[in-house]
Amino acid sequence: MDAKTNAPSADLPEQIAPEAVAPEAGRARRRLIGIATLLSIPILLYMGLVFAPEDAQQGPAQRIFYIHVPAAWIGFLAFFVVFVASIALLATGKRRYDDVAAASAEVGVVFTTGVLITGPLWGRPVWGVYWTWDPRLTSFMMLWLIYVSYLVLRGYVPEPARRARYSAVLGIVGFLDVPIVYLSVRWWRSEHPGQIVFERDGMPAEMLVSLLVGVAVFTLGYLYLMSLRLRVGRLRDRAEEEVAA
Amino acid sequence: MTWLGSAATIAGKDLRLELKTRDVVASVGLFVLLVVVTASFAFPTTGEGREAVAAGVLWIAFLFAALLGMGRSMAIEKEESCLEGLLVSPAPREAIFLGKLLANLGFTFAVELLILPVFVVLLELRVAGAALLVLSAFLGTLGIVTVGTLFAAMAVNTRGREAILPLLVMPIAVPAMIAAVETTEAALTGAWTGGTTSWLLLSAGYDALFLMVAIATFPHVTEE
Amino acid sequence: MGRAPALAIRLRAVSKAFGAQRALDRIDLDIPAGSYVAVMGANGAGKTTLLKVIAGLAVPTDGSVTIAGVEMKRAGPGLRALVGFVGHESMLYPDLTARENLTFHARLFGLTDPGGAVGQASRLLEVERILDRPVRALSRGMRQRVTIARALLHDPAVILFDEPFTGLDEAAALSLSGILERLNTPERVLLVTLHDVARALSGPQRLVVLSSGRVVLDTAIHGSDEDVAATYLGLLRSEAVRR
Repeated sequence: MDAKTNAPSADLPEQIAPEAVAPEAGRARRRLIGIATLLSIPILLYMGLVFAPEDAQQGPAQRIFYIHVPAAWIGFLAFFVVFVASIALLATGKRRYDDVAAASAEVGVVFTTGVLITGPLWGRPVWGVYWTWDPRLTSFMMLWLIYVSYLVLRGYVPEPARRARYSAVLGIVGFLDVPIVYLSVRWWRSEHPGQIVFERDGMPAEMLVSLLVGVAVFTLGYLYLMSLRLRVGRLRDRAEEEVAA
Repeated sequence: MTWLGSAATIAGKDLRLELKTRDVVASVGLFVLLVVVTASFAFPTTGEGREAVAAGVLWIAFLFAALLGMGRSMAIEKEESCLEGLLVSPAPREAIFLGKLLANLGFTFAVELLILPVFVVLLELRVAGAALLVLSAFLGTLGIVTVGTLFAAMAVNTRGREAILPLLVMPIAVPAMIAAVETTEAALTGAWTGGTTSWLLLSAGYDALFLMVAIATFPHVTEE
Repeated sequence: MGRAPALAIRLRAVSKAFGAQRALDRIDLDIPAGSYVAVMGANGAGKTTLLKVIAGLAVPTDGSVTIAGVEMKRAGPGLRALVGFVGHESMLYPDLTARENLTFHARLFGLTDPGGAVGQASRLLEVERILDRPVRALSRGMRQRVTIARALLHDPAVILFDEPFTGLDEAAALSLSGILERLNTPERVLLVTLHDVARALSGPQRLVVLSSGRVVLDTAIHGSDEDVAATYLGLLRSEAVRR
């Protein structure tokens, strides 16, 4: 009788103290980005409120543009990251891509919410209405809805591997949908009032610089929030594993 | 067995099931009728420009009908792990998707064709372009059902079951809906412009794109 | 159709993991034709995952699964034609008759003579009488027989049963044991997962025990084997102590 017994006592669970796993380099990098973000915010405030010239037609309310547009860029960038990470997850099956996608979706929804709040705040004093079904803002509302449905879906799937795959599929479909949404809404409605960003020659240099500073600051903010969120995700995963074991 | 063969076998099975139970068509058909009737009370569907409102009402009804049908169709596969029965067969996953898509499309479109005449009569519409009406219904439905079948396969495996399906589909389906409403309105008023052609192309393009994406990603939804 | 060479199933370093969670952990298994194997282990040990990987329902994250000399990675859909899978649920549409269900699956498996295959399988499982009744109206035992018939339609070389004895009364369990014995031929491989040690020892010739995704016991069984039972129970106890 051949009995092969591989008693499981040989493999000890890899119990490593959290501090040891969190590499010092990671924490230092996070702090650096966080400080950079914090320091750059006053710079943006100065650029947006003081440095940039006041818009002749729209008045001071136009200055919200220096937050609104960067937030929009980052909201879109975050979703692009979700898209790429989703493809990577389906292609490789590696968990870290799901972590990145989930983090970027959560951070992205924050920025997109900012777009949807600053949009009406800008619209009311300048054009008299809180909401027009203008293509860009409407597309951002749809982007926001897709983000939210992505996060809700994740909440409804408890098993990690399946949750990752399902989210990835939604992330891919959702991202490909956004430009089509924009196109269809644009055909359906008139143009975004004052397409400032694309008329480069129409915008004074100071405005452009301020806008770019805004984009840079918001990108730093995105990276900082991402790194925080990824860390929280790792800690949460480890806690779940220890509960399950 | 070929792709199409497997897909046809699966769609055929759905048809046979439906003929026996009349589960989907009955509940969906009745639902669409109720939506149309209720909306006729709620919205101004008389007078000038009523075609625009009518088109919107119609497509909301069609959307909900499609969602209901697709949810039921996948729930049937979830019961008794029947989907697993499909997955252990040599049929390629893409063919399984295609089979379910064809079944969903067939049922939803059949309900739509039945409801359209009722709708036209109830709202006293004149149909300027019947062919355009049918075409716009087909293209729009194909778009909704393509995305919906993919998401339904996911939805039935979540905590909320089919209930989460509308939340997943509706944001994604917006372009298809806009295009469908525009072309349906044109079909009712007879005002076919260059814009209408653009809308039809958008609808077709949407369908083609998401059909490819769905076929590519469906295996990831069904594999473990 | 379903004829396999001497070595029917081979698993090499098969893992199924997502992040740190491992359902299967570097599994090596050789299962020759003619084997009748009982697979046991605690819930979550990986029994169902192991079966699903062989059936092509789950894709391993590492390693290779080979059936009849062909790697699954290369020939997935075709290899599924060699495998019959009987899971926890019946995989039958309750509103269709047994015959309609079986004919559907026969067509799905690309069989050229669906009617003949249905007839043959239903004779083997003795369900001819109830073929034209809706599955919804069948008793549990009959439903299981039709489920097994479904898995046998394409005459597979490998038949997998995932906890088929669960929920059966003694008479039905004995009947099922008899069916399994009849299915155990030199050309086929039977893999059956179960919880009951006594069941595992009466019928199967080999016992594989999984724990946390690893094979911890792989032994032949000869008749009523007290030594094997003792080893298995010892393993269970040691695991209980570990927790």
